[in-house]
Amino acid sequence: MFGYPLVNVLGACLIITSMMVVLARTGRAAACLYSLQSLVLVGVLASLGAVTGSGELYTWSATAFATKVVLVPAILLFTLKKIGGEVPVDLPPKLNPMKSVALVAVEVFVCFVAVSGIDLPTAAAVKPTLAVSLAHFFIGLTCIVIQRSIFKQIFGYCLMENGSHVTLALLAPQAPELVEIGVATDAIFAVVILAVLVARMARYARTLNADDLCELKG
Amino acid sequence: MDYSMLLLALLGCPLIAALAMAVLPSKGTPSAVYEALHLLSLAGVAVAGLALVVAVCSGADVYAAGEWFHLDGLSALFLGLIAVIAPCTGVYSLPYVAHDVEEGRLGSGQVKQYYAFFSLFVFSMILAVTSNNIIMMWVSVEATTLSTVFLVGVYRTKLALEAAWKYVIVCTAGVAFGLFGTLLVYANAADVMADAHQAVFWTAILPVAPLMDHSLMMIAFVFAAIGFGTKAGLFPMHTWLPDAHSEAPSPVSALLSGVLLKCAILIILRFYILASANVGDGFPQTVMMILGVLSVGYAAFEVYRQRDLKRKLAYSSCENVGLIAVCFGIGGPLGIIAGLVHCIAHGLTKALMFCLAGNVMMKYHTRDLERIRGIVAVAPVTGVLFVAGCLALAGFPPFAMFLSEMLMVLAGVAAAAWWALVLVLVALVVVIMALVRLITGSALGGAPDNVPRGDVPALALVPEIVLVALVVLLGVAMPGPLAGSIEDAGAIVMAYEGEYSANGSLLDDALAALAADGMTEEVFE
Repeated sequence: MFGYPLVNVLGACLIITSMMVVLARTGRAAACLYSLQSLVLVGVLASLGAVTGSGELYTWSATAFATKVVLVPAILLFTLKKIGGEVPVDLPPKLNPMKSVALVAVEVFVCFVAVSGIDLPTAAAVKPTLAVSLAHFFIGLTCIVIQRSIFKQIFGYCLMENGSHVTLALLAPQAPELVEIGVATDAIFAVVILAVLVARMARYARTLNADDLCELKG
Repeated sequence: MDYSMLLLALLGCPLIAALAMAVLPSKGTPSAVYEALHLLSLAGVAVAGLALVVAVCSGADVYAAGEWFHLDGLSALFLGLIAVIAPCTGVYSLPYVAHDVEEGRLGSGQVKQYYAFFSLFVFSMILAVTSNNIIMMWVSVEATTLSTVFLVGVYRTKLALEAAWKYVIVCTAGVAFGLFGTLLVYANAADVMADAHQAVFWTAILPVAPLMDHSLMMIAFVFAAIGFGTKAGLFPMHTWLPDAHSEAPSPVSALLSGVLLKCAILIILRFYILASANVGDGFPQTVMMILGVLSVGYAAFEVYRQRDLKRKLAYSSCENVGLIAVCFGIGGPLGIIAGLVHCIAHGLTKALMFCLAGNVMMKYHTRDLERIRGIVAVAPVTGVLFVAGCLALAGFPPFAMFLSEMLMVLAGVAAAAWWALVLVLVALVVVIMALVRLITGSALGGAPDNVPRGDVPALALVPEIVLVALVVLLGVAMPGPLAGSIEDAGAIVMAYEGEYSANGSLLDDALAALAADGMTEEVFE
């Protein structure tokens, strides 16, 4: 259970935890579950570091712990606190849980098929995890599309970002640290900006319901 | 002159200005302080930017911070666009923001926010065009979104916030696909390069591009086209564009449409070059052609349908980005040159039109075209410029877009891309109808009684006159150095085919080839 098999098992755990984030009923639960999923991501990075002997990946796992396990959930929980009871945050999604799970299952399957055609020595041993990282993109996209609450849509972006982080680690374990710092910093800024925008929306537009934000169509 | 230092200074000017404005207290700091910092930073961008463009046109190849930043003929063209349009829209911002403050639409905190994020936006665009590190390219494109979201939502109305939300969520999600494409290119390059650390640099990847895995490169290009195409406003990922452009303050819309969309096009071009070097030009050209034709076809009818001035202009941007994609889809020396000329021509013209839309809003307090009549009678200078801008946007001579659209048609004829050409020309006729209707319906006719006569402040008109002059100049007599620069940029895109001529005159060769095929006679008969 060590080496690449461990990486692939943790990859599977990423799918399960991301599904939990998508299905979470409350914003608070989604933030906590996202923290858990990021902890799994830290595990993927650290185990990849051990397998490939890449010192950079250990650093990445440390920064991922600080930013994704602690900072991002803290920002989102703080935003929830700031919004308070001004407007409803925990709106039901547009798709019921069964249909969401079925959709994600199809996405994961398609990603596995797509990745099976890739012939890249760097990723040969971690193809399942590569498929998982690609699937994360689509799970994140699904989260953005099916959530009615724009607060919960932020988690969609976070999941997509986690997917790209895993892809970066799998395909570019020797990439300069500055690259990883650039990507991580960018993600933090994106979450901060999304959170500020959600807080402003609650304050000025008095709604977090995506269905209410369709006046500019056409 | 040390051009590396100049490039770093160029990046530093707007960044330092943004940081300086951010630390100033919003209460108690007069808006003149922000305006001074804003103008200083833009003066720095104009001087350093144009000096670097001239240096590159004279043959310099500028690197800075090792290989992290690189200015070649291609990026110099886009840097030139930033160095001209950012100062013009920046100067235009002064009377526009002052007007919004007078009207009570902006408070002191929002004024600070406006100027600080404007500088940050300019910085992120310079970063995007000068980055040689492909992952930094992605970071900078993402940074352009993050720095502009509060500019789009600066009015804090429900509609402005809705537009800002759609903008940030669609673009961050879309550009995440761009990151995936970028990572695939990196991993692919790292596998064939002796030093994996070099695989992040575009200039290092290009020579080994033919050795990389073909299927992976095709997937990477599709991801990049979708990801950065979202930012460029290509159909069907364009949904953020009309909302963000229409709700943002007009100078920001001008900068978004005039420059930002072109920065995204540049990044797509970088991937286009890599993909062409790897799998040949057929695949990337097909992808660009499909996205381009769909964008032009869809947006042209939206341009006609819209009754909101800024949404009409926003859809026109979508249509013109589609035309640029069609040019690259046609390919060949003439197609590439047509695309590059259209980037410049449309950038200048659309910046002008959004500034003029700002003038109209200052006078009429609405964007609803049903209520905008007799601009020429109300504000004569604005009116004349508005008519000229509409004609320029419709592609009439003697304006720059006539030249680029003619080049596109010639390129299409040379490549025998008949189906695409017919579809695009039909769409262009629809756009011409829409813009002629805009002139007759809004610019001409009697002035409404409730709109006071008189033009907007001179400071608002000066940048617009400069932009009109440039659009005419490029249309009637393109300056030699600029034409040379476009040829250099075209040669970089064509390098993978080795088609650029030894005598360096890409355009002459393309036209000669066209004549040899007997196409020109056919076209002009």
